[in-house]
Amino acid sequence: MIKNMIAIFSRYGSVFMLGLWHTVWLSVVSVLLAAILGIFIALAKMSKFRVLSSIASCYIEVIRGTPMLLQLYFFWLALPKVFPDISDIVCILIALVVNASAYVAEIIRAGIQAVDPGQREAAVSLGMTEQKIMRRIIFPQAIKNILPALGNEVIVMIKQTSLASTFFIGELMTAYKKVQSTTFLALEPLSIVGLIYLFLTVTLSRLTRRLELRLRANER
Amino acid sequence: MSDKGNYVIKVQDLRKEYNGLQVLKGVDFEIDRGEVVTILGPSGCGKSTLLRCMNMLEKPDGGNVFFEGTDLTALKPAQIIQYRRKIGMVFQHFNVFPHLTALENITIAPVENGMLTKEIAEQKALALLERIGLADKKDEYPTRLSGGQKQRLAIVRSLIMEPDVMLFDEPTSALDPEMVMEVLDVMRELAASGMTIVVVTHEMGFAREVSDRVLFMYDGNILEEGTPEEVFDHTRTERARDFFRKVINA
Repeated sequence: MIKNMIAIFSRYGSVFMLGLWHTVWLSVVSVLLAAILGIFIALAKMSKFRVLSSIASCYIEVIRGTPMLLQLYFFWLALPKVFPDISDIVCILIALVVNASAYVAEIIRAGIQAVDPGQREAAVSLGMTEQKIMRRIIFPQAIKNILPALGNEVIVMIKQTSLASTFFIGELMTAYKKVQSTTFLALEPLSIVGLIYLFLTVTLSRLTRRLELRLRANER
Repeated sequence: MSDKGNYVIKVQDLRKEYNGLQVLKGVDFEIDRGEVVTILGPSGCGKSTLLRCMNMLEKPDGGNVFFEGTDLTALKPAQIIQYRRKIGMVFQHFNVFPHLTALENITIAPVENGMLTKEIAEQKALALLERIGLADKKDEYPTRLSGGQKQRLAIVRSLIMEPDVMLFDEPTSALDPEMVMEVLDVMRELAASGMTIVVVTHEMGFAREVSDRVLFMYDGNILEEGTPEEVFDHTRTERARDFFRKVINA
């Protein structure tokens, strides 16, 4: 089997590498876009305006309470009805961003709420406006809680993108399907893809850990 | 309602409750310009809440808080911001900003509030750091400062706003004993410079030596009020006598 794996990898290496590339960019881009969207959802959820915070809560509940695969199907089917020219990959990317945004919003909210309330009180007592307090006092401290958790979210996304192979969009699991259908060997390409996933996630979690330690070095 | 007396802050029939528990039961008093007032009392008596109502960090449930003739309880949140800039506050746990250097801790509020340019704010901040003996620490982050240094930094962070009154909420309670003195010294100097000061504290020596007036609070009310001699040496209520005995013998 190991011999077969080496043979397959040397023959179809470029297919796997292309799959790796698609998996990485899909995960990173979707988490980055989700982070931007997530900030607004988190702020909405913490808002004192009831309507706004209920809408945000609802959004988070719906996204976290339904399967990712269902969401992928939903956007893949629904978006082309509104935008006929939209490509599969854009539909999938949007679905991934929407899915990640709900989780990222909770990460951001938790990060903001973990900042010592005394920090806000001090800033309030100095007569700073709500907006400045958020931008200059709370957020710079919250980001130290948020960034490592975002790293973890990228790791989760790397694994989640495998579901997108249902739509044959070229990430790692699609690479597996391609190689499997040409060679009629299943376990070997599957193991190769598994090793690539493992390499990705282990490397990333190490990096996340280092980032976390560096961010904390300055304080406390 | 507006009356401009000699007072800086006047509190009228102030009431506050948390979850049905009455913490302030109608407190009345005023602080005159240049006066140093100490608020004493057992924990949970409402003294910190009273202080925090004075700059509307806590919203009172009843009564009024006048600041130089303006009823703060009648204002919208956006309007209160202007007045808070004139009311400095120092917290038990310092609440210095950990992501900013000592200098930036002092300059951030006046600069972000658009009250001073960055250059002038830095000049003033340097002079203030000089005054508390921390000029050489200007570029240090608060992690590198001791508790006493952090609290002194927190005091000048408020002073740069040139407040009309300074509120101190147990400023030495979280400090190691050997650092209490350096913070009290800064407060003493501040009092001598004519600043109007309200302090919630357990430092009886400081209260006796520096205050013009002492308030003893118990269970949401002011039980005793007078000069340090009146309150400490001619204590009228058994509750206050009991409290002083415990604190002084501790």
